[in-house]
Amino acid sequence: MDYQKLANWQKIPELKGLLDLSTPPKELFFCGNFDPEIFASCIGVVGSRKMTDYGSRVVEKIVPDLIFKNQTIISGFMYGVDKYAHQTCVDYGGKTVAVLGWGIDTKLTGDDLKLAKKIVESGGLLLSEWEAQKATHWTFPARNRIVAALSHEVIVVEAAQKSGSLITARIATKLKRKLWAVPGPITSRTCEGTNLLIASGKAQLWLGKSASTNLSLNEDPILALLDQEALGANEIARKLVQPVSQIGAQLSLLLLSGQVLEKGGKYYLADAS
Amino acid sequence: MLVKIRSIANIGLESVPIDVEVDVATAGFPGFSIVGLASKAVEEARERVKTAITNSKLDFPPKKITVNLAPADLPKDGAAYDLPIALGVLLASGQLPLPSDIDLSKSFFYGELSLDGTLRPTRGILLLGLFAQKSTPGATIFVPEISAAEASVVEGIIVMPTKSLAQLVQHFTGDSKITPLDPKSITQETETKLIEFDLSEIAGQEQAKRALIIAASGGHNLLMWGPPGTGKTMLSRALPGILPPLSNSEALEVTRIYSVAGLLTPGQALVSSRPFRSPHHGVSNAGMIGGGSNPLPGEVSLAHLGVLFLDEMPEFPRSVLEGLRQPMENGTVEIVRVAGHVKYPASFTLIAAINPCPCGYLGHPKRECKCSDRQITKYRQRISGPILDRIDLFVTVSVVEIEKLSLTTKTAVNTVTSKEAKMQVIKVRKLQQQRFKDADRPLYTNSQMRNIDVKKHCLLSPEAEHLLKMAVEKFDFSARSYFRLIKVARTIADLESSQQILPEHMAEALQYKQIL
Repeated sequence: MDYQKLANWQKIPELKGLLDLSTPPKELFFCGNFDPEIFASCIGVVGSRKMTDYGSRVVEKIVPDLIFKNQTIISGFMYGVDKYAHQTCVDYGGKTVAVLGWGIDTKLTGDDLKLAKKIVESGGLLLSEWEAQKATHWTFPARNRIVAALSHEVIVVEAAQKSGSLITARIATKLKRKLWAVPGPITSRTCEGTNLLIASGKAQLWLGKSASTNLSLNEDPILALLDQEALGANEIARKLVQPVSQIGAQLSLLLLSGQVLEKGGKYYLADAS
Repeated sequence: MLVKIRSIANIGLESVPIDVEVDVATAGFPGFSIVGLASKAVEEARERVKTAITNSKLDFPPKKITVNLAPADLPKDGAAYDLPIALGVLLASGQLPLPSDIDLSKSFFYGELSLDGTLRPTRGILLLGLFAQKSTPGATIFVPEISAAEASVVEGIIVMPTKSLAQLVQHFTGDSKITPLDPKSITQETETKLIEFDLSEIAGQEQAKRALIIAASGGHNLLMWGPPGTGKTMLSRALPGILPPLSNSEALEVTRIYSVAGLLTPGQALVSSRPFRSPHHGVSNAGMIGGGSNPLPGEVSLAHLGVLFLDEMPEFPRSVLEGLRQPMENGTVEIVRVAGHVKYPASFTLIAAINPCPCGYLGHPKRECKCSDRQITKYRQRISGPILDRIDLFVTVSVVEIEKLSLTTKTAVNTVTSKEAKMQVIKVRKLQQQRFKDADRPLYTNSQMRNIDVKKHCLLSPEAEHLLKMAVEKFDFSARSYFRLIKVARTIADLESSQQILPEHMAEALQYKQIL
């Protein structure tokens, strides 16, 4: 992909956040159509490379809300939560900035390339402080400082106890950015880091939109069941004492009408996300 | 003196007549040679024949003996020519007079000799029977007693179960005649086998059970997807119990393959239940597809008209899986070797079980998956698109949470026994038989329909068609998955005895769409 150098970035007011860093990047390179407006209101969505099902549900829940509030999603273009945040953002028509952990001239392949093209097409940017630099162990933490500096707020979705996302979180705190962490099950290893951030008071608890206590008004018995928890077709059939063939047919119809979502054999209520 | 004895050679499922010509010369240096592209096994017949004749208290003539297996340019393999060679030697040397009631041109001899003169089990007897029936009406075949039952289902021939060379000699001299085998009708042979697992024994997994019934009814290929310990293997083991019995012509077709492979147990006349093959994932290409210098049928052919079950499908070597493409498309497999070109039927229903990731716990409610993204992608990529494209039903077999099963309260709606399921399957198979009776090629099941047949036989109600269009838009179906969906919906409609495909059938079919 074609890239350009961002001349005199220090003079762009939207990028002054980067000057908060003790070691601001010397140069900046980007792919896409540069419009400083994109940095007007950035929110970092970062997390583990090893995203769990829960992590992906969280991303699906928070990213559309942020886009709705006209925020730019900024993240680190690494598989797991980062890439999924970019992906979800693009899918919902939002703008996103991907800060690369390697030089901008690195050739992307496969899924990476597809996602990068989509980001650019939807008005987003790929950003890097290097022109030619191989990805290696020190480039990722370096990239994290830019993510933290560009963001006005940072949300950590999922992070293990030793995770790159915690580096971002630490820098964000140092730069006095508002830090949020999504609570997770205390049994999950990939939520230890985020839970710890909350427990130690370093991050605020992110609950998304205030958990509304909407009364279950669903007429459909299947929807009423799914309102309480996500279930597979077998369990629904068992609970409603109906043949699984009929339940399956009804689920397909609900799926087609967009009232429920399916993932890994389980059904979720669509408007709960 | 020269004697000509008839026998056959089996090349795949084709039989070729072989004349075993034995000449015992009056003059010349004593010797015993076999010509006519004989393999090592046939060459060694010299030693077996010589010893068997001596041990049957007969004389092996100390003369110049020449055996020719005609046609001379066709390679021959196997030990089945022992019996015709031994008989030829005895007749040509004048020890054994040819009785007037035996016509050598109407008799076939086939069987391996042991050193003491008894006849050993030999493969391919059914093919000999079928060949004799076609080429020589009223033929008599002399075959080893142990394997003779195979040919008993062939009408219009006389089967002589022969114990030993000595018994055959006594039959020729008239001292004691061999009693021909009673012909058996095929129908009395097909019985039901004991079932390993009953569907009702498996806890939960209602949807997977339903998918199994649909697969068995319409011959659809099925892929089960889920973490270890959820009952994928158990479900597939329950499948033989709900498969419909083989029809007479089908039973004969399957038995032919097993006869060639030498897999019929001694005394077994027919393969009576549908084959269920589950090769281990260490299987080689030749083991799966068929092979050897004289190609023998592989697992795909042994599963003909039955089920091929691949447990842990991604663990199979890539080349073996890709080798399944041709048989899955054509229902036959062609094997080419130096020795020749063989075509075996291989029309099977594929049932595959796979884990969601290498460690198996991706998406497990309680255990954590330890695989990296890359590992998971690599694991999934082991099964190529063309193979997935040929699978009609995908079903998630998720973890059964014991406490949610409520084993104490009986939910009668969803428990189905294998017996009930089998009745449903048989009913649907009959409907399909009716539907395809005028087809221009052998069509047994809904899954075998081509697009043109789908248009002819699958009447969609307008609502169902609308639903299908909505689904195509939402899920981005390819043309192939579009037709696949209709075929599955057809089978579901058959299960509900509906002439037309209604929206609820289409909606249920959507439950089994591709998930990988």
